[in-house]
Amino acid sequence: MNQKIVICDDEQEILDITQMILEDEGFEVIAVIDSTLVEDIIERERPDLLLIDLWMPRLAGNEVISALRKNATIQEIPVIVISASRDGKQIAYASGADDFLEKPYDIDALVEVVRKRIA
Amino acid sequence: MDDFLQQLPHIDQLDIRLFAAAVNASSNGVVITDHSQPDEPIIYCNRAFEQLTGYSKEEIIGHNCRFLQDSDRTQEQRGILREAINKGEHCQVEIRNYKKDGSMIWNELMISPVKHPDGHITHYIGIQNDITRRKEAEMALESEKEHLEERVQERTQELQESEAYLSSIVETIRESLIVLDEEMRVLSVNDHFCKFFKLNDKEVRGKILFDLGNGQWNLPELKDLLFNILPHDNPFEGFELENEFPAIGRKLLVLNARQVMLKGKYEDRILLAIEDMTERREIEQRKEDFISIASHEMKTPLTSIKGNLQLLQKRAEKNGHQEYGSGFETTAKSIARLERLVYDLLDVSKIQTGKIDFNYTSFSFDQLVKEVVQGVEAISPSHHITITGHTAVDVVADYGRIEQVVINLLNNAIKYSPGSKSVAVHISLLAGYVKMSITDSGVGIHRRDHKKIFERFYRADQISEKFPGVGVGLYVCKQIVKEHKGTLWVESEEGRGSVFNFTLPVNQPRA
Repeated sequence: MNQKIVICDDEQEILDITQMILEDEGFEVIAVIDSTLVEDIIERERPDLLLIDLWMPRLAGNEVISALRKNATIQEIPVIVISASRDGKQIAYASGADDFLEKPYDIDALVEVVRKRIA
Repeated sequence: MDDFLQQLPHIDQLDIRLFAAAVNASSNGVVITDHSQPDEPIIYCNRAFEQLTGYSKEEIIGHNCRFLQDSDRTQEQRGILREAINKGEHCQVEIRNYKKDGSMIWNELMISPVKHPDGHITHYIGIQNDITRRKEAEMALESEKEHLEERVQERTQELQESEAYLSSIVETIRESLIVLDEEMRVLSVNDHFCKFFKLNDKEVRGKILFDLGNGQWNLPELKDLLFNILPHDNPFEGFELENEFPAIGRKLLVLNARQVMLKGKYEDRILLAIEDMTERREIEQRKEDFISIASHEMKTPLTSIKGNLQLLQKRAEKNGHQEYGSGFETTAKSIARLERLVYDLLDVSKIQTGKIDFNYTSFSFDQLVKEVVQGVEAISPSHHITITGHTAVDVVADYGRIEQVVINLLNNAIKYSPGSKSVAVHISLLAGYVKMSITDSGVGIHRRDHKKIFERFYRADQISEKFPGVGVGLYVCKQIVKEHKGTLWVESEEGRGSVFNFTLPVNQPRA
C-alpha cells in the first residue's frame, strides 16, 4: 500500500504542485486547503506524514500542529512545515514540527525531507 | 564824523564829541538814518560799517539801507524790520546782506528809534555785527545734525529691513523655531511653531520649555543637551523626541539646537529648531512594509513556477526528452535570479526594521569559501575561480549570512567581467581577523562611487544600462559584514577591474 501524505496550504497552486511532485514519487496525497479540517482528516485517514504551511487565514499551521500534539490518537504523526517565511522556522519547531522547508523549495529537497520522515 | 558833528547843535560839548569818537571807533558797524526825510536816507556811518560793507561813506550817505540787501529781497527778516520801523520799535534780526563786491555776509542787525520829545521818530540807529563766521559754523553744525539724523534714519531703516528680512525667513520656514534664554525660558517662537502645536504665542512666551504642555519636553537627556549648549558652545543635531502632544497627538520630532551666534544682546540665547518627522517615518514604514509584503507575496508564485519547472524537467529526463535541456537551464537561472532578488529585498526590509536575526556558530572559514566557490563555479562555468592563501581557523559567524556575502561578491565579480574568464580569491588571517579578497578584471568602478555602491538602491551610472539589478546586493553584504563587526570595501579603477575585500573577526566581540 502506498504511503499516505496530507498536505495543507491556503494556496491552490502550491497544493497542486506539491501534490504532483509527491505523486510522481509514488505517494498517495490528500490535499487540504482549509486548515481547520486538517485534524479531522488526519484522525480519519491516519496518514504517514503531514506537510503544512504556517500563515493561513483560518487557522495558523503552528496552531494545527499544537492541537495534533495534544490529540493522543494522532500525536505521533511526523510534521514538516513549509513556509515562505524564514522566521517561521522557530515558530514551527516550537509548536512541535519535525522539519522545516522554506519556499520556494527545490523538489529534490522536498523529496529528501519527506523520505527522511517516512522510512 | 567831523562833518556829522558839525551838523549837531552845541558841537562844542565835550560829552558828545567823546560819544562820537567812541561810535566811530567801535568794531560794530553803526549807521544812522534820518526819518524826517523821504525814503529814510543814511546820514551817518562809522568806519567799521565801511569795512563791513566794503562801501565808502561817500557812496552810502543819502541812500536808503536797502542796497545792502542787493537782489535778495524776499527775506522774512526784511518784513520784521519794516514792521518794527513802522511801529517805531526796537528790533534785532539776523539778515543776509551783500558787500560791495557782491559777497554775502550775515549781519546781526539791531535797530533803535530815536524819538523827538513829542514822540515822533526822527532817526533810526542801526548797529551791525558781522556774524558770517558764527552763522556758517551754526549752519555747518545744523547740516551736520541733519546729516546725522539722516544717517540714523538710514541705519534704523536698514536695521528694520534686515529685521524684517530675518523675520520673514523665520516666519516662512516650515520648521518650528524657539528662542530660549540660558534658563530655557521661551523668549519667542515663530508662526510655524504656533500653527504646528496649535498654541498661542502668549501661552508659551516666558514659560520654561520643560513646563510646556504636559511635560513632553521634560526629558533628562534633552535637558542635559540643552544646558550644555551655552557653557561649552555645544550644539546638537538630530535628537529624536517622540511623544503625545496636547491637541496634535503623537508626533516624532527631530530637534537641532545651537547658540545664537551674535555678540551682545543675543549672546546667551539658544535657537531650537524642531522638525516634524512623523509623516516621513510613516511613509518610510509603509515602504518597508510594502517591500516586505510584496517580496513575501512573490514567493508563492515563485514556489509554483520553480516546482512545476523542476517537475517538468524531471519528467522530461525520465522520458528521454533531451531537447528541452537548455530551456530548463535558462529558466532555472532566471528563477534563481528572481529568488535572490526577493531574498535581497526581504533582507533590506529586515535590516531597515532591525528584524534581521543572526545565528552564530563556529565553522571553518576556508571550508565555507571552498564550498561557495564550487557552487558558484557550477552555476557559472564561464569563469574559473582560483583560491590562494588560507586562514586555517574556525570563525564564529552566521554561516548562511557569510555564505550569502561570498556568493554575492563572487556573482558580482562574474557579472561585471563578461570579457574575462577568471576571478581570483585570496584568503588570509590577519591579527584576529580573516580577510577575503575577490579580484576581477571587469569594468571597474569610478572612484566617486566607491562608497555609494554600498548604499541601498544605488546603481553606478556607467553600469546601470549594461547590467541589470536593483542595487541592494552590496548594501545587504555591507550590513551583514558590519553586523559581524567586520568591514567591506572596494579598491577599483574604472576599466581596470575591482577588488572587493571583507574582514571578519575570528571571534565575535561581545556587544
